[in-house]
Amino acid sequence: MSAEEKKKALTVFKTDRHEDVAACCFAGLAVVIVLCYMAFFLPSVTIKAPVDGKLTEIKVKVGDTIAEGQPLYVYETKKKKFVQGQMQETSVSETFKSKTPGKVLSVKLAPGEAFKKGNGLLVVEHVKGTLP
Amino acid sequence: MRILLALDESARAVDEAVKLAAERGSGLTALFVQDTTWHDYLGSDWLSGSNARGGYIEWAAEHDMREAAGLPELLREKTRGIDFELKVASGRVPEEILKELASGAYDLLVMAQPFRRGLEVLRDTAAGLIPKLPCSLYLVREQKD
Amino acid sequence: MEERGFLGKLAAIVPGLAMMVVTLYLLKQVVEPWLAGVAVFGQKGYITKSIGLNYVLMSILVGMAYRNLLFRGSIPGWAAEGFRTTRLFIKTGVIMLGSLYTIQSLAKVGGLAIALIVAFVFGTIFFVMWMGKKLGMDRSMVGVMGAACGVCGVSAAIATSPGVKAKPAEVALAIATILGFGIMSMFITPPIGRALGLSDYQFGAWVGTGILNSGQVLATCLSFNPAIAPGTAVAYGEIWNVVRVISIPFVVFFITLWYWRGEAQEEHMSLWGILKSKFPIFVLGFFGMTALSSFDMLGKEGSETLHMLRDWMAWIFGIGMVGLGAYIDFGEIKKAGGAPLKIGVAAGTLKLVLSLVIILLFIGKEASF
Repeated sequence: MSAEEKKKALTVFKTDRHEDVAACCFAGLAVVIVLCYMAFFLPSVTIKAPVDGKLTEIKVKVGDTIAEGQPLYVYETKKKKFVQGQMQETSVSETFKSKTPGKVLSVKLAPGEAFKKGNGLLVVEHVKGTLP
Repeated sequence: MRILLALDESARAVDEAVKLAAERGSGLTALFVQDTTWHDYLGSDWLSGSNARGGYIEWAAEHDMREAAGLPELLREKTRGIDFELKVASGRVPEEILKELASGAYDLLVMAQPFRRGLEVLRDTAAGLIPKLPCSLYLVREQKD
Repeated sequence: MEERGFLGKLAAIVPGLAMMVVTLYLLKQVVEPWLAGVAVFGQKGYITKSIGLNYVLMSILVGMAYRNLLFRGSIPGWAAEGFRTTRLFIKTGVIMLGSLYTIQSLAKVGGLAIALIVAFVFGTIFFVMWMGKKLGMDRSMVGVMGAACGVCGVSAAIATSPGVKAKPAEVALAIATILGFGIMSMFITPPIGRALGLSDYQFGAWVGTGILNSGQVLATCLSFNPAIAPGTAVAYGEIWNVVRVISIPFVVFFITLWYWRGEAQEEHMSLWGILKSKFPIFVLGFFGMTALSSFDMLGKEGSETLHMLRDWMAWIFGIGMVGLGAYIDFGEIKKAGGAPLKIGVAAGTLKLVLSLVIILLFIGKEASF
């Protein structure tokens, strides 16, 4: 086997440079698929909790039409803070603002209930062409 | 029956093999295996940027070739009067040796221990061979100077 | 190797790739949730939280078990092609990681990263040169070890080797040292980080500066905190990593220059030539992603679109981690020895400890982005 042939057997690609380019294309493809799916094919948007926490107030009800940036719910969560090198956990209250316009289809939790990161909280109708 | 000599950087294994072949009056085949396992070994670092790995493997192959350039001359010189043959293969060293032995023409394998050829310095070549060996084995220790 | 068409190649990839995907799926979706529910010492989730045995670490361990126990040292032909896609997955993941940053945040952290890395890279190279001289090592080996300890381990070592005429058999030993040290640091740094209460920012900066091998920086960050989002260990660690990657061609140039003592320059190198042939262009993809996210083209922070993208990244990296483990062959690393081992362990340990000290002293717990 000559050096030239061996270079070909390096990866599944011809050379590492091909692999670099393929990785760029692959990443681009993944992003395009995700964006297209989210923009055009998604039937409804489930808004998931960003962190673990407890719901204190829900500011919208089923049937409301919401706009981007409108406050949706208020939750309590533990935040890590570093005070003089020591980690402290403090409870803070935060407001989640909508990232997407649309109509509220259902509300899954009631105030006072705890949720984990990734749990669905609200279901909102998806407006085609927007990235929720 | 013939003797198979697995070539590495050691000259002593060559001398021993030639001596044995002359004593027994049998033929000698020398096998030069070019190591092609570099790409897996280097692959563990995903970063190796464009062409760095390819360039290195090329360099390692060239190095092997340069080492081997004077070999046929030297071997012919040493094996004068013996039925001698040089074979070249590429792949993983123990596998190529076993493949050659599988032809059944050999009853003795002569090689250096430790075996120095490419990545084999990191592996115990003989230990990998022994369980599957169809013939006798003569391990030649490197001379301590 | 017989010639195969495109479809034939694709078919050759499938078995190994399927094995990695199934492994990851089982570990991520079945084993980790189960471990999180197991109570040890009366504490639920002790294994995943306190020991840090998350799916990332398990993927690497299982990958290592495949190579060393199941396959006994070498991946068989039917799976080899599939396992070789590992690098593609990790590179893709790293490119997508670019979406975690914006141009502004890169500018903020980048300056510090560049300063720290340049100081450590050249500090280490000088240390290795000094020590190599003391040990009476061969100049080409000193060059290879300098690059390996200074920048990105294996990738820097092989990028330098041809330029300094290093013997392949010796490079093999040098790489074994680097890999062995990297794997050790991969397992000891997350517990140390947890014990010292390092924040994600500090941890990322520490391993990004201190760990020799780039693959292991990624794995270490992910096993410290598997979450992929701005402000996690992997987000900081990779910034450091990307700066190092970019510096490889310059280090290669510097060491080659040192090796030839500046003579015969035209013949042996030109910075432009090295840049052209060795610049890792996937880094450009990384910055492309950063540009996209700076203009909010990938959805707003906190949006479901970004969550989904990050889920994809976690899967892509996860597959890469199984493959990364499968590249580790204990038999080959065990044989590391000689002067490269001494110098590698000395330089590696010094770098790891020194960078930890500097980060504890000068870098705040909370990052600027």
